[in-house]
Amino acid sequence: MIINGVFIDDTYAEAFGMKATRIVITADNLTWARHAANAAFGFATSVIACGCEAGIECELSPAETPDGRPGVAGLLFAVSTKELAKQLERRVGQCVLTCPTTAVFAGCEGEESLPLGKNLRYFGDGWQTSKLIAGRRYWRIPVMDGEFLAEETTGLMRSVGGGNFLVLARSRSRALVACEAAVDAIARVPGAIAPFPGGVVRSGSKVGSKYKALPASTNDAFCPTLRGVAKTELSPGVDAVLEIVIDAVTDADMRVAMKAGMDAVCGIGAAGGIVRLSAGNYGGKLGQFHYRLREILA
Amino acid sequence: MTTLSLRAVPNGRVDMTGVLPETLAERSADDIAKQIVHLAGSPLMLGDLFEVDVDETDMLVIRTDSDRLDCLGKGMNTGNVRIEGPAGHYAAQGMRGGELDIHGDAGDGAANGMTGGLLRIRGNAGDWLGAALIGDRTGMAGGVVAVEGNVGDRLGDRMRRGLILVRGQAGDACGARLLAGTLVVAGGCGTLPGAGLRRGSLILGRRPESIPLSFNDSGRVDLSYLGLLHRHAESFLPGLLPASTQAQRYMGDLAFGGKGEILVLA
Repeated sequence: MIINGVFIDDTYAEAFGMKATRIVITADNLTWARHAANAAFGFATSVIACGCEAGIECELSPAETPDGRPGVAGLLFAVSTKELAKQLERRVGQCVLTCPTTAVFAGCEGEESLPLGKNLRYFGDGWQTSKLIAGRRYWRIPVMDGEFLAEETTGLMRSVGGGNFLVLARSRSRALVACEAAVDAIARVPGAIAPFPGGVVRSGSKVGSKYKALPASTNDAFCPTLRGVAKTELSPGVDAVLEIVIDAVTDADMRVAMKAGMDAVCGIGAAGGIVRLSAGNYGGKLGQFHYRLREILA
Repeated sequence: MTTLSLRAVPNGRVDMTGVLPETLAERSADDIAKQIVHLAGSPLMLGDLFEVDVDETDMLVIRTDSDRLDCLGKGMNTGNVRIEGPAGHYAAQGMRGGELDIHGDAGDGAANGMTGGLLRIRGNAGDWLGAALIGDRTGMAGGVVAVEGNVGDRLGDRMRRGLILVRGQAGDACGARLLAGTLVVAGGCGTLPGAGLRRGSLILGRRPESIPLSFNDSGRVDLSYLGLLHRHAESFLPGLLPASTQAQRYMGDLAFGGKGEILVLA
C-alpha cells in the first residue's frame, strides 16, 4: 500500500489492555488549570518507570465543567487498578491540591470507582466537610487560598494502551514535522492521548537487552547510526525514525486516533520527505489488541 | 394516569396517605374510587371526595381548592404527582423518590423525614419544612425541596442531608439544629438563623439582622463549592444563586462543635 508516496508496511501495532480514568481539573482561569494538569500528567510517559501514562485530553469551557470554571480533562492509564489508584492519588495530592484555585472532579463513570478526594480529604485535619450534590459526594478541604474541592471518587475504565506507529523519513527534521502534524490530529480525537513529550518518542525499544538487568533496550533495527553493524529495518533513504505512542479509552478511539495521526503523516507525503510508515509489535504474543496499519488506512 | 378532582371542600382534614402513583397505577377508575382515605379520622372511599378520571398519562393530578388534604405524597417512592391547588400539612412526608409538584401553598411539616426525590412548592410553605418527623432525632435526610415563595419558622430543623432552596423569605430559626445538608434562602430570614447548627451550610442571599453570637466571622472567602451548587440549583430554581463564588462566612454554632457555616452572599 502506498499513500501519497508513503509506503505502508504490512504490519501491525501491538497494544495492551490497561486500566484508565479521566479527571477534570478546573481553576479560576485556564492558565492555572493547565499548570495543575501539566504537573499532574508530567513524568507519565511510560508505565515502565513512571507508574502510569497520562496526558491532557482536551480543554474545557466553563459551560462544560461541573463548577462553571475553565478546565482541562486528562486521562491516566496504568497496568492495574491498584497502580492506577496509587498514581492518581499521588499526582492529584501533590500537583492539583497544591495548585492555586484548582478543583478536581470525576471525568467518567465506571462499574468500579477510584478514590479521588476520598483519602486526600484527611489533609483537612478534621476541618474537611463533605457535600452530597445530585448523588455525588464532594470534599471541601480548607487550604490557604480558600478551599480545595475534590469529588470523592472517579470512574475506572477498561482501555487500550500502547498503540503506535513509526514514521520513517529522509531526515530528522522532516520526521519531526510529520510527527507534529500527527500529534495535532490525535489531540483532536476524544478519548485518546499521546503520552510522550510532545506526543513523540525517539527511543523506540525492543524487548530484552544484552544486560540481564534490563527488560528493554534500544530498537537497534531502526537506529540509523547502527546501519552496517546491526540488522536493520531501514530502507535506503531513511535517515531518521520517530514513533508515536497512543493510549485510548476504547478500541474504537484507538483506531480513530491512529488513522488521524497516520493520515496527517501521509498528507505530508513523500514530497515532505516521508518514506514509510511502520509499527512496533512483539510478535503478537504479548498484547491482545493488534492494529494493522493497512486495515486502518484502507 | 389518574386525575382526582375534589368535589367539595371537606368538613375536616383528609389524610391522603396511600394515594400515590405507585398504588394507583394500572387500576380502573372504579377500583381507585374504592381506595380508603380518612376524613377527620374516619375511613371513607376516595370516590366520595373526588371525581376519578383515568387517562393515558403517567402522572397523578390532584385538583383541589382546599388546604385540608394532608399527607399528599407521603412515603412516595416513584412517579410524578401534580397538585393543582394548595396542599395541607405533611406533604412529601417520608418521601423517598419521584417528584411532587405543588402548584399552590403547602402547610406545615412538608418534607418531614424526606429521604429522596424532589418536592416543588410553587407558593409558600408553612413551619417545619424539611424538619424531623415527630419523635425522630433527625430531619430531612435526602432529596431536594424547591420553594418559590416564603417559608415559615424552623426551616430544616435537625435536617441531616439534602438540599432545600427557598426563593422567598424564611421565618425564625431557619437551619436551627442543622446536622448536615444545605439550606439556601435567597430572600432573607428572621431571628436566630442557624441556632444550634452542628455541620452543614445555611446560605443566605440577604444579610440577616443579626448572626447568633455563637458564630465566628471567618471573613470574605471564595468557595468553588458555590459554583457547583449554583449549577445544580439552576435546574430547580433558575436565578436563585448568583454565579459568584464569594461569600461572607460565619463558622458555628460554636456551642455545638462549630463545624457548620452560615454563608452570606450579599
